[in-house]
Amino acid sequence: MPFDPQLEDYERMSLRFVRSLGDLDAAAAAREFASFGRRFAHDRDSLPQTDADRAFHLVVEATRLIDYQLPFTLDEEAETCISHAQRMLDEALSLDPQCHDALRMLEAGRSPSFESYYNFLQEGASEVKARCVEARDAACDTAAPERVFLERDIAMRPYLRWIATLASKALICGRNRETIRLVDELLALDPYDRADARLTAYLAYAKLEDEEGLDRFAKAHLDLNHPRLDAWELLARLALAHKRCDFGQARTLLGQIVELYPNALVTLARQRELPDGVYARLSTHPYSEDELIVAISEATVLLQEGRDSLWRGSLGSWVLRECLSMSTPEQTSELADVIASLPPHAASLLWGDDAS
Amino acid sequence: MKARDELVQRLALRRRGQLEGLSEAGYQELVRDVRSRPEDFIDSPAEEAFLLVCQALERHDAACVGEELLDDDAFFVARRHRMERLGSDCEAALARDPDCLDAQLLRLLAQDDDPDPALPALAELDARAWKQLSAAQLPASGDAWDDVLLRPMLRIRAAVVRTCLDSARYRRAARLGEEAFAMSPGDAQGLRHTCALCYARLEDEAALEALDVRFSRQGDSWQHLSRAILLYKLGRLAAARRALGGYTRLCEGGAYALIKPIMIDTYLPDRPETTPLSFEEATLAVHEADPVIVDVPDFVPWAQGQRDVWFAAQSFAERRDLDW
Repeated sequence: MPFDPQLEDYERMSLRFVRSLGDLDAAAAAREFASFGRRFAHDRDSLPQTDADRAFHLVVEATRLIDYQLPFTLDEEAETCISHAQRMLDEALSLDPQCHDALRMLEAGRSPSFESYYNFLQEGASEVKARCVEARDAACDTAAPERVFLERDIAMRPYLRWIATLASKALICGRNRETIRLVDELLALDPYDRADARLTAYLAYAKLEDEEGLDRFAKAHLDLNHPRLDAWELLARLALAHKRCDFGQARTLLGQIVELYPNALVTLARQRELPDGVYARLSTHPYSEDELIVAISEATVLLQEGRDSLWRGSLGSWVLRECLSMSTPEQTSELADVIASLPPHAASLLWGDDAS
Repeated sequence: MKARDELVQRLALRRRGQLEGLSEAGYQELVRDVRSRPEDFIDSPAEEAFLLVCQALERHDAACVGEELLDDDAFFVARRHRMERLGSDCEAALARDPDCLDAQLLRLLAQDDDPDPALPALAELDARAWKQLSAAQLPASGDAWDDVLLRPMLRIRAAVVRTCLDSARYRRAARLGEEAFAMSPGDAQGLRHTCALCYARLEDEAALEALDVRFSRQGDSWQHLSRAILLYKLGRLAAARRALGGYTRLCEGGAYALIKPIMIDTYLPDRPETTPLSFEEATLAVHEADPVIVDVPDFVPWAQGQRDVWFAAQSFAERRDLDW
């Protein structure tokens, strides 16, 4: 699971709380801490916190609005939702001008193009890194040894998110080699890959049609936080098989995705394109339908390539055709809106000349 | 494809082989005769089929005249009719000679499928044609294109390479293209242009450079455009700006073609001939580059933002009285 903002908020606040307890003995500290969870949830203002902690909490709230609420908001309410989130991020920055997450998220909404957002992230990267490293090294001197690891880790996370976002934008901008370079940089800093940036790299290797590179990369990062074949790698390998015209292998991989994910056939046929999470990749459960939706949305760069009169790209149309050929009558009727949205000549392309 | 020239050449060469000691002047006389009455020289089902292909293409080209004046709906109806007619004309040619490669290629192209579903049948045709080409005796020049009977194989390869690019199979396109250079070092079909675009898409600077060197840095719209796209993708914007400037200066109307792309119909069967570095060439290059360009969504807006590109496009539009 990628960065969970609420967990991070909790970690920051609990660290601050523990630090405020000073030299209490273990039993007294445990007694004090017993009330922390309740106060964190219901009476946050009673807890010790700095402006930076308050700023981060506003980031958490803005994330909840933009990344998790907005996609389900009615069109007429979207503006309100966005402006509310923007006000929170503005406030976060006024509380803590070094709140890199707020800065990054605000710019995501302001940038008029992929490229301008990419440039903003690229230009800011070294400054953000310097600040985060500074905070990490400062944590070394001030914190008790048992808390050092977490403090140092938290200090670096805004930079990890910054680079993970930059890598995913590089992919969208068609800069696939840069995507891989950024992910490599990120993995060197964070071998556990909390940003799940390697998923972005899988797609970039497929874009470069570099199967050997993908094999090497996947092998090198096999034992990360969840050693499993996920939708991103499967989609990358599916794209490569399709590019090789190895349709048998492509069908096998499609079948694997269908086996692994619930309702996958419909999700694969639908190929929804979601806005990327502005805080980080949306948090989903492994092998959930949502995870596949997010993966397919990110794999748009692979699906929608090539000339294609169904407006889905070569791979996208192939996947759609395969899914429709495998779908049950119930699944086909669930996809009625997808089929209706296709151009008029689609029927003969999807079902052959016999289609009525 | 200059089908009638090829028909005349086929018939005249075969006839010359049957006549002993024909002088060069006599051969030129023969060519004139063949050109004026090709039907009289047809001597085999294969030649008859090629004549039918030639007539089918001429009929098709005549049907295109005036289509630009039609509205969209009428255009697509007219287009469908001429494609269907081309397909049935190819069937007629194949009834005479089932092995006629050009008729097979045109019949597949006339089906007007999307590139991805079209590729398997084209690839299968290419595999058969390539086998024939590999077994054939190359002409003394070492370039299969110089033997008019080997040209269909190279046309099929070029169509497959373009279809690979159009269906987002860039490495495959480049591999098949490079393979063809061994058989046709002069690359009359311009497979290098498709390869250049593929290397840009794959961000393979070394391969694009090697391709440029291989063809003695002749420079053309595809190469200049590919370099600009590649450098942009690699994030080397100053170099990309210079490359785009080169494209703009060297390719007449190149800036306009990039900013205002137009629809180009399916190549039947091969890329139309254009003057090097002309506006028409740039228009084809931009059209062929489309799958690569849309994959870099901010490339064209960035290019438009370059003052020299913008002004070059604007002044070209004014000179030619084009939409702006």
